[in-house]
Amino acid sequence: MRPLPTAPLRTAVTQPFFIDLITRTDEARRGFETNPRVLQIVADGLSVERYRRLLLELYHVVWHFNPTCAAAASRLSDKHAEIRYFLYDHMMEEKGHEGWVANDLEVVGVSHSEVALYRPSNSILALNGYNYWSADRRHPCSVLGMLYALEVIASVYGGPIAAAIKESLLLEDDRGISFITSHITMDAEHMAELRLILNTIRDDESKVAITESATFNFEQFTRVLEAI
Amino acid sequence: MSATSVIPAALERPYKYLWLEWDQEFAVLTARICVKPIQCYSLAAMAELQQVFNDISANPGLVKHFVMASGAPGVFNFGGDLSLFVLLVRARDLDSLKLYARRCVDLVWWLENAAQVGVHTTALVQGDALGGGLESALLHHNVIFERNTQAGYPEVLFNLFPGMGAWHLTIRKGGFGIANDMILSGQIYTADQLQRAGLVDLVVDVGQGESALRKIVRSAHPRLRGTLTALQARRIAAPITYESLQSVVELWAVSALRLKDRDLRLMERLARAQVRKVGGAAEGAVEEIKRIELDTAWGFERTGLSEWSTLT
Repeated sequence: MRPLPTAPLRTAVTQPFFIDLITRTDEARRGFETNPRVLQIVADGLSVERYRRLLLELYHVVWHFNPTCAAAASRLSDKHAEIRYFLYDHMMEEKGHEGWVANDLEVVGVSHSEVALYRPSNSILALNGYNYWSADRRHPCSVLGMLYALEVIASVYGGPIAAAIKESLLLEDDRGISFITSHITMDAEHMAELRLILNTIRDDESKVAITESATFNFEQFTRVLEAI
Repeated sequence: MSATSVIPAALERPYKYLWLEWDQEFAVLTARICVKPIQCYSLAAMAELQQVFNDISANPGLVKHFVMASGAPGVFNFGGDLSLFVLLVRARDLDSLKLYARRCVDLVWWLENAAQVGVHTTALVQGDALGGGLESALLHHNVIFERNTQAGYPEVLFNLFPGMGAWHLTIRKGGFGIANDMILSGQIYTADQLQRAGLVDLVVDVGQGESALRKIVRSAHPRLRGTLTALQARRIAAPITYESLQSVVELWAVSALRLKDRDLRLMERLARAQVRKVGGAAEGAVEEIKRIELDTAWGFERTGLSEWSTLT
């Protein structure tokens, strides 16, 4: 008879980092998906005023996404060259996506000049500020934590949120929600690529920085949605 | 059984998703799982449960009875962590799906062999049990359901199947026909129906679960050695092998990876329904499964239900 499983708890050492990251950030991810305001958006959608506010806030996340990745790429050592190349490719794919947000805003009545004048909330300033600081001063690999959190939010939760907004605002096709809907599929692809690159991470210092960043991004993005 | 005693040092750890209770008189360890907001087998909760089992195995003779119960009102367990599955499927992460499944099998295997390490087990089910939640209950030597509990294997509704021992355990307790009906229909059953099917040993009125548990422990305790030997013999008569459990979970992981967007949306719908119930709504995942069955049978147009109309 096979002996009973009495081995000690499996830890990060014995499993790929992607699943370890999921486990370590499980509570923050669940905190996002079960936040009452997030649930309300999923259930009831948004008024046009709140949707405008959401997109205006998102614009600043998207606008600073590539510069944050660039800051991280420039500080990565050669031992993380593979991550640097991953970031180059990712930046190419994300280039210009702030324009998609601006186009959706135009559909719901916000002109490009109004977008340029919008001052993001303190929650967004804190989110972007943390991501720049973390890439620059904390550890450049932390940027992968930002990618992980944003791509989980887009690919896992983007669908229900987009569907609810579309219903509540009676939008046709993808008009006005093209940024969110296109990122559901796109970020599922990105998630598969991100998993592969995360599983190459071996050193604890990078793992800790990535975990911290993912946790912060989940929590701070929850604050952003709470405030709109 | 006496009132809750101080947990022995060998078993005490700072658990986050488990609440342990200890009864010194009969050496009963009760583990109440509480995973918020959805009562399910999250990776972290499973790691804690495995630690409890490891500690029991490492201290032979300390625990004579193990009881699995829930710390979440109205729910025993909803099984797999659906939002984790959605995440892993979208990341096309077969390795992590297999890893999750293997951890489940490790827990299954320990409970399946509990008599061999001198532990008599009971599941006290005081709320709904779906998928892996029902599988985990059936693993115990005694299965007590309170009468308002509903349970079933809804996985087929989203093109999956219960892979962590459901076939093995349901066939063993209820027979092939019952297993076929339950697993292939995705239907939800009442406690009385499950007792008639032979899957549940005892159905008691709501609020009577604890006293039924005490009776079982008091009755089994004086003849524990004989009972455990008989239960080991029962395993020999109707064996479940580690290898066959592993083969099924491998198939489960591969089939999970083939889930389509529609299937994942149904999973998300169930998860959201349960979150709403925790938030105070009257209906949760069980009611949502019944709606999905209706939607599937009649189509959204005929019932007037749609994925989003059911959310409001």
